Amino acid sequence: MSITRRIFLRNSAMAAVGTAAIPSFLTRAAYGAVESGTRTKRLVVIFQRGAADGLNIVVPHGEPAYYAMRPSINIPRKSVIDLDGFFGLHPSLAAFQPLWNQRHLAIVHAAGSPDPTRSHFDAQDFMESGTPGLKATDDGWLNRCLHDLPAPADKSAFRAIALGPSLPRILSGSEPALAVNNVNDFGVGGRGANATPMSNTFEAMYAQSVDSVLHGTGQETFDAVRMLKSADPSKYKPAAGADYPKGRFGDSLKQLAQLIKANLGVQVAFADIGGWDHHVNEGSTQGQIANVLTEFSQSLAAFWTDLGDLREDTVVVTMSEFGRTARENGNRGTDHGHANVMFVMSGPVKGGKVYGRWPGLNQSQLYEGRDLALTTDFRQVLGEAVYSHLGNRALSEVFPGFENQPGKFLRLFA
Amino acid sequence: MKLGHRQIATAGLLLGVALPGQLATAKKKDRNPVPSQIDPEKRAVHALNRLTFGPRQGDVERVQAMGMDHWIDQQLHPERIDDGALDARLAPFRTLKMNREELFQDFPSGEMIKAVAEGKRALPSDPLKRAVYQAQLDQYEQKQERKAENVASATLPADAIAKPDKMASDDRMYSEEKIQQVLDMQPEQRIATVLQMPAEEQRTLIASLRGKRDEFLDGMKPREREALLALNNPRQVVNDELIQAKLLRAIYSERQLQEVMDDFWFNHFNVFIGKGADHYLLTSYERDVVRPHALGKFEDLLVATAQSPAMLFYLDNWLSVGPNSDVANGIPKRNHDDWKKRARNSGPINQAKGKRSGLNENYGRELMELHTLGVNGGYTQKDVTEVARVFTGWTLKQPQQGGGFTFEERMHEPGEKMVLGHRIKAKGEKEGFEVLHILAHHPSTAKFVCTKLAVRFVSDDPPGPLVDRMVQTFLKKDGDIRQVMKTMFDSPEFWAADTYRAKVKTPLEFTVSAVRASGAEVSDAASLARQLQNMGMSPYGMQPPTGYSMKATTWVNSSALLGRMNFALALTAGKLKGVQVNPLIRAGESNPPLDAATTLADLENDLLHGDVSKQTHDTIAARLQDPQISQRRLDDPVRAPNVNAIAGLLLGSPEFQKK
Repeated sequence: MSITRRIFLRNSAMAAVGTAAIPSFLTRAAYGAVESGTRTKRLVVIFQRGAADGLNIVVPHGEPAYYAMRPSINIPRKSVIDLDGFFGLHPSLAAFQPLWNQRHLAIVHAAGSPDPTRSHFDAQDFMESGTPGLKATDDGWLNRCLHDLPAPADKSAFRAIALGPSLPRILSGSEPALAVNNVNDFGVGGRGANATPMSNTFEAMYAQSVDSVLHGTGQETFDAVRMLKSADPSKYKPAAGADYPKGRFGDSLKQLAQLIKANLGVQVAFADIGGWDHHVNEGSTQGQIANVLTEFSQSLAAFWTDLGDLREDTVVVTMSEFGRTARENGNRGTDHGHANVMFVMSGPVKGGKVYGRWPGLNQSQLYEGRDLALTTDFRQVLGEAVYSHLGNRALSEVFPGFENQPGKFLRLFA
Repeated sequence: MKLGHRQIATAGLLLGVALPGQLATAKKKDRNPVPSQIDPEKRAVHALNRLTFGPRQGDVERVQAMGMDHWIDQQLHPERIDDGALDARLAPFRTLKMNREELFQDFPSGEMIKAVAEGKRALPSDPLKRAVYQAQLDQYEQKQERKAENVASATLPADAIAKPDKMASDDRMYSEEKIQQVLDMQPEQRIATVLQMPAEEQRTLIASLRGKRDEFLDGMKPREREALLALNNPRQVVNDELIQAKLLRAIYSERQLQEVMDDFWFNHFNVFIGKGADHYLLTSYERDVVRPHALGKFEDLLVATAQSPAMLFYLDNWLSVGPNSDVANGIPKRNHDDWKKRARNSGPINQAKGKRSGLNENYGRELMELHTLGVNGGYTQKDVTEVARVFTGWTLKQPQQGGGFTFEERMHEPGEKMVLGHRIKAKGEKEGFEVLHILAHHPSTAKFVCTKLAVRFVSDDPPGPLVDRMVQTFLKKDGDIRQVMKTMFDSPEFWAADTYRAKVKTPLEFTVSAVRASGAEVSDAASLARQLQNMGMSPYGMQPPTGYSMKATTWVNSSALLGRMNFALALTAGKLKGVQVNPLIRAGESNPPLDAATTLADLENDLLHGDVSKQTHDTIAARLQDPQISQRRLDDPVRAPNVNAIAGLLLGSPEFQKK
């Protein structure tokens, strides 16, 4: 670890000597990491888009009603990876088992957004804005949570990043945030000799543009391009045992690990994975949900291995816009429901435990007679991560209108 | 003419500087019902920016010569515009004209192959088609064998299982020499040789071609090309041709407003190409459902989508079964003994049979949220369930083999339904039409649809009075989309000065407008499709039913901006496969070559109609002498400026990102 860091510092120092174009914040950031000795705390948010079926992900195998309501798509008790005698993991989440055993993985069940909408679009919007029911909010909570947070050494272009071709709602707002589709071609004009003059010309154009929409984004973009060139994250190969599966989600997390390991000052990051909207033939231990869970868990487990001792500074939280109906529908699938399950993966988390009050699955216990009821607001889980891990105490700004008292936290962190 | 260009350029510079000031005054005068209007000289540029995928060289002059009203009227009646040149370009793509059954037959799906393997369907007799089937059958049989092996090996200890034959993978690739041998043959001989190969060798050859694919297919008839490509992956041929056609239409059609409207409605009634049978169903969906109604009556469009195999499959309604229907209760079809036999096929009854049958709410919800009322349009969860009950029985006959819409009474939920306060009496299939009629004429639908149109054509935050006027037309004229469009184009808000080049282009609009402005010749649009995928807007590739956003906030971010700059440079440098740009940039044709400053001024006119800010102009002008920008050698006696590099910078500039 220390060797890697020293090589990085030497390289960036040389780069800084080599050209005057390197901004001063970068050289300061590069040295600052050693001088201050403080480590960047970071929060990684994963969105399972399409409404994941929480009841088939962390299975309440101690609930007879679960089996009664899902005759063809339940996960049989003999197949679940038992956690505590009542809940168990879907067998395709086997990659999570070591994390659970090491207490790096906590689970919050019956969690989510309290808004009753069953629209994918609205529900995702609410979970990203952090203000369920309020459409007028124009920024995302992951952006707002940077407002009161001391930046590491200096503000970095990579402080807030999303992996993908566009910047998601959750990161939009007044703090600079980056969308990175591919770390390896993040630049203008490729790697040829002619690339730099073209890049400089575009940079000057956008820097001086009076266009309110494009000017800011342009400037952030070119700051990031320069920084990335200097840090060269491509030299950070996945650690031994970090086997990312093929696919967009695994690629996203692999690149995120590179950016984190390249010491670019990542404080908040976002990635998403689709393919959860199983109205038809959801499958059980095999099939659609099993396939996407395999990709999901193997990618996250590889990311976790890859981070090495940076795990101590990292919290990963997963969420999905709502759960799915407790009963299976007419097509061996499930329709849009309400509460869901969230995973919290972290060095400092008190893992190996399923948090939250379980509302039960008997008819009278279901939300609107059809869905898992909600007992933990997603903002409570994320609020605790923002407060306890990132150290941002101004939760009323991050999640306005939601009473988020530390006294009510689930006490996920020591 | 050249002098005239430069004069316009100067006017544009002034305009670019003046814009922010105009914006400020426009805001102060919010109560003024008539916003200050676009400079008359710029009206044609504006109209072309908004009604088309961007002006080509000469378009502005053509619109001015024709007269704005006449041109708009013509665009609103696309059938009056000759589009023969486009038709000729699309002629080689035979799948565009095929019906669903033909597509499934000529480019067999997995289910079709399975049916042949099980002896339920015969192999086609035509040798080309037969080869396609045999290649797929071979793959199918290999897969079955592997499955059988896996079952057998599951009982053995792990280390006793022979490792898969990785060694053989090198043998499976065709060598350069062997490929060259095939390429050296005459087209007829090439085809005959390939058809004689065993299926596996055919696939290996096609997969090994890579960059030499075009050379391999050279000289063959469209039917032959398609069949050879289908040896490897039949449905990919269907998808590739559809995507090619979308981009070529956007670039070359003279019926530009029709293309923009097709894109708008397809996106409104979005269906994802990657979902099962929809790989095959979008060709007909776009051609037979969206296109004919794009400027027609909204209700006709809505009904057409509701009955389309593409939508029924995408939103799962074909599988939705009434909980009290005959199928749910296991009651056999009266007077027909063969229903059980039929149910064993891949039809909906089979997948939904027995006690497990039930509603699927997917379509009922999206119909109201995304297609008609909008999420705040005043419906409840109860309405969603009731609408789902209404549409039970709207299903498909074997969609994986090309079957179409059918109403299946035995899947239909009996009894009365209540939708949005309306009592829907039990009358089978007709209940669905009644509900679609109610939804199509609902004021919330008018508001939702008109707002969306105004966002696409006018502004991310369209003015209320404009939307109100459009809504009035929508309600008065029975949802006549052409009339609604006319109302919008006749409104002062459409021509307001602060809308001029104020909307950020989506990746599709940016890419196509750059090709159109540069006059590039596109012989293969696949590279453009790949660029769009990188920018997050793959054609037909939006998985959720919401469709792509038309607002700036979605598309302005670092990755996307870099993607746009790189695209502009690659396009003008001729680095996109199948896209030739060089001689068509007018400024480059001049002989003797123009000096650098004149070249820049001409390109500013050609590509951006002079709407280049002082900042952008000065930035490029200051670098014109940089040999790295101009890429010319210092001993170059002519000292010609690098037209392509300058054009690339202009197409990647902030100004070109807006329309």
